[in-house]
Amino acid sequence: MNTNTMSYKLKQFMMFAGVTTFIFAAVVIVPFIYGFYLTFTSWDGVSAQKPFVGLSNYLSAFGDGAYWQALGRTVIYSAIAVILVNVVAFILAFLVTSGVKGQNFFRAGFFIPNLIGGIVLGYIWKFVFNRAFVALGNALSVGALSTSWLATTNGAMLCLIIVSVWQYAGYMMLIYVAGFMSVSADVLEAARIDGCTNTQSIIKISIPLMVSSFVQCLFLTITRCFMVYDVNLSLTNGEPFNSSVMAAMHVYNQAFTYKNYGTGQAEALILFIVCAVVGVLQVSIGKKAEVSA
Amino acid sequence: MKKKLLAMMLATAMTLSLAACGGDSGSSGDGGVSITIFNSKVEVQEQFENMAEEYSKAKGVNVEIYYSGDTVAAHMATKYSANDPYTISMVDAKDIYSLAEEHAADLSNEKWVENTDYAISVGGKVVGFPVCVEARGVIYNAEAIEGITGKEFNPDDYKTLDAFQGLLDELVAGGMAAPTGIMKEDWSLGAHFLGEVYEEQPDVEAYISALHAGTGDLAGNAKWNAKMDTFDVLKKYNYAASSPVAAEREVTEQKLAEGEIAFMFGGNWDWSVINAYDYSEKMGMMPVPQNTDDGANEKLVGGGSKYMFIDSSENTSEEQRQAAKDFLNWIVFEADGNAFLTEKCALVPAFSNINADALDPLSASVKKYADAGKLIDNYNYFPDDHLSKCGGLFQKYLADEVDRAGFAAEIEDYWKNTAPVEH
Repeated sequence: MNTNTMSYKLKQFMMFAGVTTFIFAAVVIVPFIYGFYLTFTSWDGVSAQKPFVGLSNYLSAFGDGAYWQALGRTVIYSAIAVILVNVVAFILAFLVTSGVKGQNFFRAGFFIPNLIGGIVLGYIWKFVFNRAFVALGNALSVGALSTSWLATTNGAMLCLIIVSVWQYAGYMMLIYVAGFMSVSADVLEAARIDGCTNTQSIIKISIPLMVSSFVQCLFLTITRCFMVYDVNLSLTNGEPFNSSVMAAMHVYNQAFTYKNYGTGQAEALILFIVCAVVGVLQVSIGKKAEVSA
Repeated sequence: MKKKLLAMMLATAMTLSLAACGGDSGSSGDGGVSITIFNSKVEVQEQFENMAEEYSKAKGVNVEIYYSGDTVAAHMATKYSANDPYTISMVDAKDIYSLAEEHAADLSNEKWVENTDYAISVGGKVVGFPVCVEARGVIYNAEAIEGITGKEFNPDDYKTLDAFQGLLDELVAGGMAAPTGIMKEDWSLGAHFLGEVYEEQPDVEAYISALHAGTGDLAGNAKWNAKMDTFDVLKKYNYAASSPVAAEREVTEQKLAEGEIAFMFGGNWDWSVINAYDYSEKMGMMPVPQNTDDGANEKLVGGGSKYMFIDSSENTSEEQRQAAKDFLNWIVFEADGNAFLTEKCALVPAFSNINADALDPLSASVKKYADAGKLIDNYNYFPDDHLSKCGGLFQKYLADEVDRAGFAAEIEDYWKNTAPVEH
């Protein structure tokens, strides 16, 4: 049987990847192209007509000050959250692979926040910030805790970051744990015989061998932080005074609440491009740093 | 062998559950008509579901009720882009104006049109069926007030801000540390309280146009100043004054229901929150006190709220449309329908022929003012982003991040930079 014909290759492809390709196209590619088309219309979301307006949605997206503020806010939030999530996750991963008693229990425990959906998480933490911390602050007369952090501009951002760290650190920890496990014991033993201290062997041996874990974790956290919506919605809902509206929430409001579907879609596309550029850059730089033992 | 049996049982169970997911359409049994209703009032969802069951049995029309947590406009958008509209959709007034032209059936010839002042017409055709009457004002807890003052509370004595503030001082002196509560939600501040500033203007349309043109002079407007004076008083006596934007709606309403505070600006829909707590029976709604002589301090602001329209597209058959019209008639003209609206859902009817005497205290107040003609109309043509943008600005004012002049300037800016809504 000739296995080099086009039809054979096509059959093979359809057999193994046909269904997935179809589904991927149906739920990602087609909506993306359709969404791209909608950025050139002034559709309001319900009307049967979708009048073509050229580039005017992009012009209004570029002129939409609130959007750029939200995007700037998202960049700041993402930068801080990404660093904190990964630092915390790495430390946790180190602790739960260092052979402490009951480390499987701790692994499960740190991972659990990630199993709670973002919406529920937001409401839980809202209660913690608004009631529990305030009650604690009043009882112990700690000034910084006696009013809700969610009521101030910077406080609300801080709350979002804290919750994101709490949510993602456990998930990223699992990836780092896998990274730690993949570093072979021989190499570490050799290092110890050569006189490496613990810190040295982490910095000089483990981390370089774990670069692929870092690349994965950074990619996941960056994309998730840029696209944050659920926690934003349930924890702050943009309050106080619309000062914690992140880019994704602004896009939603623009498209569905203010009924400028085209403009919202154009803004979503800009957000996508920013996110994709950052993600791809980070992965390609990270890939270069990968080494093997 | 055992494993094989288990696997087969699991497979059967899964197939069955799949079948259960897919097989509900068109199963109305006796071949009757099926209609779908979208309910956007979450507090009456259960009542609607029960009603659907009874209605289906009594009329042989299969009724299905849907609810969505999305904003109404967004949910309608998804249903219409999927070509799967509801037969009857319950939406807000502003949605009717944006949807009616393309999607709503003409209801001008329906009998109930005669019985209501609140129906919505678009392009000369009646399209919106008013579900209920709702109004805004100051909610009071008379029991809490009387417990301190020792005399009967009559809201008519406190029309002016001066009289109202006198009462608040008396309550404070009597031991109620902070007698008011303020909802910090952007819809309450931006759409409801700020909304009244426009709605109580002598000519609302002209004033909104002036704001768009930049000649509205909000800071110098008498109504603005009267309303904001009142707001300043509410703010001064607010129980959450130290951190007003952290106040949670549920906490505020609980305090009001249980008499820890005595006043809160709100509407009769707040009953659905209040009745979750150990509430006082002696509650009610009064007009927002203000120092004015235009009579606005004797009236609540409100009108028809939540409108139903019937889909006009080819996705809905003539039979379904007729069944939908019959359903609306059932609400207005049959005893069961009346009872559903006023007793089960506890809504203030928008139809003159429906009696309602089993309403909750807040709705009873609304009905009293409505029947006496003391309602100032809602303005239904605010731009879609007014609520969230101006609500956000109002929160800033509530948190003392901006003074009144700065607040007025920001709102004037908003109007200048916003395109007028065509209507």
